[in-house]
Amino acid sequence: MSETVISVENVSYTYKSSQNETVGVKNLSLSIEKGDFVAFLGHNGSGKSTLAKLLNGFLLPDEGKVFVEGTDTADEAKTYEIRSKVGMVFQNPDNQMVASVIEDDIAFGPENLGVEREEIVRRVDWALETVKMSEYRTRTPFKLSGGQKQRIAIAAILAMMPEVLILDESTAMLDPEGRKEVLDTVKRLNKEKNMTVILITHYMDEALEADKVFVFSEGSLIKGGTPREVFSDFGAVEKAKLLLPVATAAGKALVEAGIKINVPLTDEELAEEICSLK
Amino acid sequence: MRDVAFGQFYPADSFVHKLDPRTKLLAGIVYIVAVFLCTSYYSYLACFLFLVISIIVSRIPIRSVLKTVKAVLFIIIITVVINILFYSDGKVLWSWWKLTITEQGLIFASKMAMRLLFLVLSTSLITLTTTPMNLTDGLESLLTPLKWIKFPVHDVAIIMSIALRFIPSFMEEIDKIMMAQKARGASFDTGGLIKRAKALLPILIPLFVSAFRRADELAMALDARCYNATPNRTKMKKLTFTGRDVVAWVLTAAFLAIIIMLRTGFFGLL
Repeated sequence: MSETVISVENVSYTYKSSQNETVGVKNLSLSIEKGDFVAFLGHNGSGKSTLAKLLNGFLLPDEGKVFVEGTDTADEAKTYEIRSKVGMVFQNPDNQMVASVIEDDIAFGPENLGVEREEIVRRVDWALETVKMSEYRTRTPFKLSGGQKQRIAIAAILAMMPEVLILDESTAMLDPEGRKEVLDTVKRLNKEKNMTVILITHYMDEALEADKVFVFSEGSLIKGGTPREVFSDFGAVEKAKLLLPVATAAGKALVEAGIKINVPLTDEELAEEICSLK
Repeated sequence: MRDVAFGQFYPADSFVHKLDPRTKLLAGIVYIVAVFLCTSYYSYLACFLFLVISIIVSRIPIRSVLKTVKAVLFIIIITVVINILFYSDGKVLWSWWKLTITEQGLIFASKMAMRLLFLVLSTSLITLTTTPMNLTDGLESLLTPLKWIKFPVHDVAIIMSIALRFIPSFMEEIDKIMMAQKARGASFDTGGLIKRAKALLPILIPLFVSAFRRADELAMALDARCYNATPNRTKMKKLTFTGRDVVAWVLTAAFLAIIIMLRTGFFGLL
């Protein structure tokens, strides 16, 4: 009995400039349930980031409708309500910070929403604790690592108490350790606080732990389902020009060589599949 | 250069550091007014003492305070020299062509130098003892009455705080660009002034390009965090005056009274 948070209905969006038109997304429909951990996968220009910007009203669809908890994003009076419900973390953590002290930066969102002072303090405490950065509260963000900065950026969005957290390629600029930090934080949020998470990425291995994966190519949704369903569809993966996780790629090679195994997602699964071969 | 003191704040636990930023800003304004009211050497002495005591109480090492003077030393020297050479009233001590040095000129120039020194030292004492965030908050609070004439006080405060926040980012960026240019054989520390200035151009252009890209993303991040969502914005930190501030007001007021009395000859009593 799940409840739909976001529903996208036949949405098209085209970037128009004086010289040319570029398709962002075309005739797209999907829905995201509360508490889901969803990954949007695709190459650059596949439309995944365009879709993300449509979800919180940064862009309004040319055709079709986007609903956030039943509210149409095209309703201008509700723009800020939608943006506070659908929080977005961007790629470069340095360009998302507005204050030179961490707690001030996190308070910025709730301050903008006109939240009471005591409540802001509570939210800042809570947000910092959630991303495990409490001891950095009164420091400046400049000396932090990329992963820590991005966790602060997540906390800054959490302080607005969103329903949905979108990470728009938020791990793309980080080193492997930073990526892990951010992904662990997001996973924990999803499991423990039942936060709906949309992870936009072009790393397939990041999508492995999602409940649901949507694969985009040239503005269209070409495949949606559990990671296992999606990654077993080699045709779709190839069409989206994605790089399979190593284990899956190895599994694929085995399957193509005529060996009957289930397509593995992780190294462990691959090892098990190989061991169970007679 | 890389370790540019950010807003020059010097962290310490002192009476001056703990003052409300508004108190410090207002006291700074009063002090500047007082400096311009000075006529006699006694009043300059009073200004000097007030400043020295404030610096001692702030527990900032004298060396850090004097460092801020270094930057403007050149301007002070030029002003003094010009004042000495072109002041023509009073008893002539030395004269050549159109240049004369007079007794009055020397006195005037020395007073001018003291004024400039006091101005620089007093303002840097404020920035040394106040975090940039606090300073912006204080300014915003002091400018609040301007909201009545629809002056966007809050936006100005945000602009200031964002500007301060991006200084280190741009420093880092300059470092990166310089290194990239050096890797390709550029040289920034050889040749004459003009050659060096020309070498800076290839740094400035990429810096501007990246600044605009950053601005784009920042604008989106501000939107994502509902900037301007409501005119009734709240603040997490509230500035509050304490007993300390009252003490500072009283002392500043007393100081101003002394300066005024010295100027008017104790209202004609002396």
